[in-house]
Parts: sequence; structure tokens; C-alpha cells
Amino acid sequence: MGNDNILEVESIHTFIGQFHILEGVSLQVPRSSITVLLGRNGAGKTTTLKSILGLTPPRHGVVRFDGQEIQGKPAYEIAAMGIGYVPEHRAIFRNLSVAENLKIAERKKGDLDRKADFIFSLFPDLKRLYRLPGNHLSGGQQQMLAVARALVADNQLLLIDEPSEGLAPILIEQMMETIRNLSATTTVLLVEQNFIMASQLAENYYILDDGKTVHQGKMADLVQDKELIHRMLGTAVRSGGAG
Amino acid sequence: MMRNNFFRDNAALLGVVVILAVLGVVGYTSMGQTAFVRTTLSGLTLGALFFMVAAGLTLIFGLMDVLNFAHGAMFMLGAYLGWQFFTNPTFLFGLAPLILALLAPLFGWLFARLEIPEALQKSAPSLLGLAGVVVVFLAVRGLDILDLAKTAMVATMTAADPLAEATPQEALSIFWLRTAGMFIAGALLAMATSRPGDKTRTVHTDQVRRALIGAGVLLVFTIVATLFREAAPRAVLLWDANLRFFAALLVGALLGAGIGGAIEVTLIRPLYVRPIYQVIVTLGLAYVLREVIQLLWQPLAYQMSRPPLFSQPGKAENIFEWFRTNSVTVDVLGVTFPSYRLFIILLGVLMLVALALLMNYTRLGMIIRAGVQDRQMVEALGINVQRVFTLVFMLGAGLAALGGIGAAPFIPVQPNMGDAFQLQAFIVVVIGGMGSYGGAAIGALLLGLARAFGDYLALKYSLSPAIAEASTVIIMAIVLLVRPAGLFGRKE
Ligand SMILES: Nc1ncnc2c1ncn2[C@@H]1O[C@H](COP(=O)(O)OP(=O)(O)OP(=O)(O)O)[C@@H](O)[C@H]1O
Ligand SMILES: [Mg+2]
Repeated sequence: MGNDNILEVESIHTFIGQFHILEGVSLQVPRSSITVLLGRNGAGKTTTLKSILGLTPPRHGVVRFDGQEIQGKPAYEIAAMGIGYVPEHRAIFRNLSVAENLKIAERKKGDLDRKADFIFSLFPDLKRLYRLPGNHLSGGQQQMLAVARALVADNQLLLIDEPSEGLAPILIEQMMETIRNLSATTTVLLVEQNFIMASQLAENYYILDDGKTVHQGKMADLVQDKELIHRMLGTAVRSGGAG
Repeated sequence: MMRNNFFRDNAALLGVVVILAVLGVVGYTSMGQTAFVRTTLSGLTLGALFFMVAAGLTLIFGLMDVLNFAHGAMFMLGAYLGWQFFTNPTFLFGLAPLILALLAPLFGWLFARLEIPEALQKSAPSLLGLAGVVVVFLAVRGLDILDLAKTAMVATMTAADPLAEATPQEALSIFWLRTAGMFIAGALLAMATSRPGDKTRTVHTDQVRRALIGAGVLLVFTIVATLFREAAPRAVLLWDANLRFFAALLVGALLGAGIGGAIEVTLIRPLYVRPIYQVIVTLGLAYVLREVIQLLWQPLAYQMSRPPLFSQPGKAENIFEWFRTNSVTVDVLGVTFPSYRLFIILLGVLMLVALALLMNYTRLGMIIRAGVQDRQMVEALGINVQRVFTLVFMLGAGLAALGGIGAAPFIPVQPNMGDAFQLQAFIVVVIGGMGSYGGAAIGALLLGLARAFGDYLALKYSLSPAIAEASTVIIMAIVLLVRPAGLFGRKE
């Protein structure tokens, strides 16, 4: 069982301050696939990713990465085990150059040199912008940099939070293509509000509501169930359903 | 487009330069060259000292959100340590074995975590054995190999400083017992804490062995330090006084950094979830440190003498002549100015350059810059931010301590000497923008000049000297009105 799932989350409870944000989230992420986390705004998707990484450590529950329990470890140790994180809102280091944004993600010397060709083949723009400070990039370029940064070190699992947020349709297409390519070599746990994107990429889905996992299954089945989509994801998805 | 960006990105800097240039021209024409140059140089000296305190403060706040109210105490501590090392290091060397003994748990804990190469682990017992033999030899032979003891009194007398006399020490036998007792206690603690953080794992024999190696290495250090307790200060006092002065700068800064690191690990680290408590802890620490200093050195004001490099009688006509004469004053553009103060300005500039190199060209600097903006993300990349915090705290404390020793030869060394500098440094940090060492440099320059010119004006028009102090607060208010985040602060 531990062998086919790279990540297993068993009913974690996370508190931020005195707020009980996650009240029992469970997930299983099979290797070499894309799994998507869906849910309304404020459902706890971002908090789930942060809890896995240990940025907001869960108070109860178990998180297993590659068969090993990781809850309670410091975030840097968890990340160093091979988890890459692409945060929401394109959180790149704006006061660092593009080169430094990539360089800082090295875990071993020479990581960037080894991965540079691969990264530039996915995001050719970054090559041109290499020396610019991060705050000179456009929103889309920043998003690409945020994804690229997670690819510098050898990661087995990528946690990607709303990569399509605020991107123009053409860029969304590109981003989808990139993530699909990535999933050939790494496992991806994706948070995505754009239902078209989510439904075309992911094999499995989980729906969060109010800090709990309320539905799960194969994406192929969810696409059929218009009523569930509408009930659980509401307006955020209607545009997706129309497409 | 790039040019537009240049002006926009550097608006704050350009603004400051323009304002300073205008004020400079006004001052120069109205004050006359002599008064203007003298006041400017005084301002630069002050600014350099402000910068040394503010640089650490701004990095510590920018990266860790810790308002360190003990930063002025680090300045004061640095002054005492450096002054002691320069005039009479007996006390410091006497303390060393005890401090090393106390470090046993820390050292064991550190070693338990460190990756020690297999080969070294294998040969460690024999290496330690060899070190033991050497120590025993030194102990039997007596450490006074160079016959320093006889010349020591002569050296201390010629140092011509009332404090530079070999103060009597506790009998070595009693001292040994105490050190050994502390060490054993420490080593026991080390073994107790060598368990890794994860409670589900048991102690690995490997880890115990490493902790023991750590404790063993430290034991050797402690023994050596104990044996050197009497010979070392004598040897240091025999050094050339200039060498001793620069060594004092180094020793003070390193000790300051070490103490800063210890403070971060023991007092600050457990409280990152309760920032208010951190502020209270640093406030309390400032008082405790001051009391301890008073206990050890009496609540007196001491004066550290300048090293010979800056104290030969006479005046050098220019900097180049000073290199030859080492005279106490130098003529700068027609103004007679103490050469030591020029050295302080140089020290401040060197620190700024070193800091700029560190921040822009090293991985540590990159991590600090990134962490000032988004700590969580740095951690999410697999970087141990906690360790970077400790390093930055050490860096900041070391710089403040360095400033303290630098200042010791021209301000009285006394328990509250850091307070005024801490207050000014906080204002500098606010003006420059939290987390920006460049901002701290500009802010320190502004405040130093404001103080100097304020004093000049107060004297000239017989106003209250409070005007100089008030001027710094006024500058802060103006800067905050124009730029709420400080000159180089980033709006979030
Ligand atoms: N620092 C915080 N303090 C208090 N509450 C918080 C904090 N961070 C998040 N929350 C709350 O936790 C809940 C879950 O937030 P989270 O960011 O995980 O939602 P999300 O599903 O990612 O939403 P979105 O789709 O808008 O990004 C929200 O109700 C939010 O208000
Ligand atoms: Mg979110």
C-alpha cells in the first residue's frame, strides 16, 4: 500500500492560532499521476498543502511521504526529502534576480547547472530574463519562475497551488502543457479552481469543504456528475462546466 | 525603459544625495571650510558607530521580526571585552576554561547532529589520545615554556595602565576541581540530549559516540585553556600593542558573536511563536547583562587608551605622513582631526563593504535577502531558516560588539554606554527601512551628520544641546511622512 502512494494523509487537524482550520483531511496521492484538490474559496486547500509541508504543522493525524511519517518534522526537513512547493499568488522572491530565485532552490551544489537546460526548455522566457530582478517580471512570468524554482532540486512530489490564477487563457494552456509534461517524471498534487484545467489534467480528485475531505474519486466520474460539481464547487466552477 | 527603472528604483538614494549636496553647499558657504569639515568628520565618525549597531538590528528585525532591545548591551559588552583584552586579558583567560566547560552539552549536541566522516570517526579515539598525551606533557613540563612568567610583571608595568596588573587568581587546584565538575555535569547533559528530536526513534549508538567525541574534543580544549590560564595573558601583554589592539577588535567581535548565538539559541528561539515575549526577554536581558557587568567591573567609567598607531604626539600634515608618524592627529583639509576617529570611519566603511559582499555574493546573503521577504518560502525550499536566524543574530551581535570596541578609546567604557547608541540605531533602522543594511548605512550617515551639525548649531547660537538629539527624531518623522516604510523599506 505504501508503495503505490507517494503521499498519504490521514485525517489531519490543523489549527492556525485558535482557529480549527482543517478538521479531518485525508488524501492518497498515487505515484506518477496528477491529483487535484478542489473546493470553494476558504475550504482549506492551501492550508492542506502547507500542513503536508509542515509550514502549518497538523496537530493530529498522520502524513506519510514515501512510506515515512513526516508530520511534526520541521518544514525544511520535509521539503529536503524531495517535495517541491509552488505557492499561491506567485510568491517568488521579488527582491532577488531570476537567477537567484533558481539558485536558492539548490539543495546540492550544481543542481541548477544540471537542470538548467530542462528548465529553459519548459520556460524559454526565463533565459532571456535571467538577470532581471524578480519584481520586473510580469505576472505570468513570475508564475513560471515559481514553477521553475520547484524544479531545480530533485523532487519526487510537487505541490502546486493554483498555477492558473490570474493567467491569460493562452498562458493557462501553456501551464497545463508544462504540468502534464512534469507529471511524466514527478507526482503532482495540484490545487486548481479552474475546473477545465483540473478536469483535463488530473486522474484523481478530492473535494474539500470546510476543512474536511467530502468527496473523492476518479476525475472521469466527476466530470459526469454535473450536480455534484455544482453543489460542491458552486460558481467557481460554472464557467468550467460551460466549457 | 531600463533607465526609467534606474531612477525610480533609486529615487530614495538620489533624493538623499541631492538633499545632502544642497545642505552641504549651504553649510560650506555659511560655516566656512574649517568648521564645516570638522563637523562633517565628526558626523561621519558618529555615523560609522551608529551603522555598526544598526546593521545587525535591521537584519535581525527584517529577517526574524525580533526587536532586539539587548543590542545596545552587545555594544557595551564588546567594549568591555575588547578593552579587557587590550589592557589586561587575565580575567578573560581565567574565565575561558569555565565557559568551555559549560559548553560541553552544546558541543555534544552539535556533534551528535554533525556528519562526521567515517574515517575521522575511526581515528578519533587515537587522535584524542594523542591530544591527551600532549596535554599531559604540557602539564608536567609546566606551560611557562618561553619563561614568560618572569617578564610578565615588567610587561604589565610598562603598559602604564592602572588596570594592567596581573590580578591574583584563585589557586589552580581549586580552579581545576571546579572546571572538572562543570565539565562532567556538561558531558552528562550532552549525553542526555544527544537523542534526536523525533521521540519515536531511540538513541543510536552512533550518535552517542559522536556526542562523546564532541565532549572529548572540548575536554582537551578545556584542559589546555586551564593550563594557559596564567601564561596566555602574559604572552598577550608582551605582544606589540598595535597587534594587541587589532586582536582585541577580533576577539571582542567573535566573543560578541558567540554570546549572541548563545542568546538566540537559548532565549529567543523558543519564543518565535510568542513575539511579545521575545521583546520582553531582550529587554530583560539588557538589564541582566548590565548588572552582570557592574558586578564584575564595578559601576565605574573606564577609559581605554588608544593603540600607539594612533597616539604618537604631534600632528601629521596629511594621511601619508601619518602612516610614517602614527601621530595622534591628522590634518584633513586644514582641520586638525584625531587619527583614531578617521580609523573608525574607515572601519564603518569596511564593514559596509564586507556586508554588501556577504549579502550579494554568498549563498548565506541570498538566503537572508530572500528570508527578509518570505521566510516560509525559504523554509519550503528545504533550507533550515532557524540556523540562518542564529547566524544572523551572531553576525548582528558581532558587529555591535565590534562597534563597541571601536568606540571604547573615545567614549567612556561604562555599563550604560550602549543605551544611547541603541536608541539612535532604532531610529536609523526606521529611517532606512526594516531589513535593509543599505538603508541602515544611509540612515546612520544622516543621523550622524544631524547630530554633529546640531551640536555645532547649538554651540554657536548657545541653544540647548537637546536640539541635536531632537533633530534625529525630526528626520525620522519627515522620512516616515514621505516614505512610511523607510527609505529602502519595501511596501508589503
Ligand atoms: N493566518 C490565518 N489566520 C486565520 N485564519 C486563516 C489563516 N489562514 C487561513 N485562514 C483561514 O483558513 C481557511 C482556509 O484557508 P485556505 O487558504 O487554506 O483556503 P483555500 O481553500 O486555499 O482558499 P482559496 O481558494 O481562496 O485560496 C479560510 O477560512 C481562511 O480564512
Ligand atoms: Mg488557497
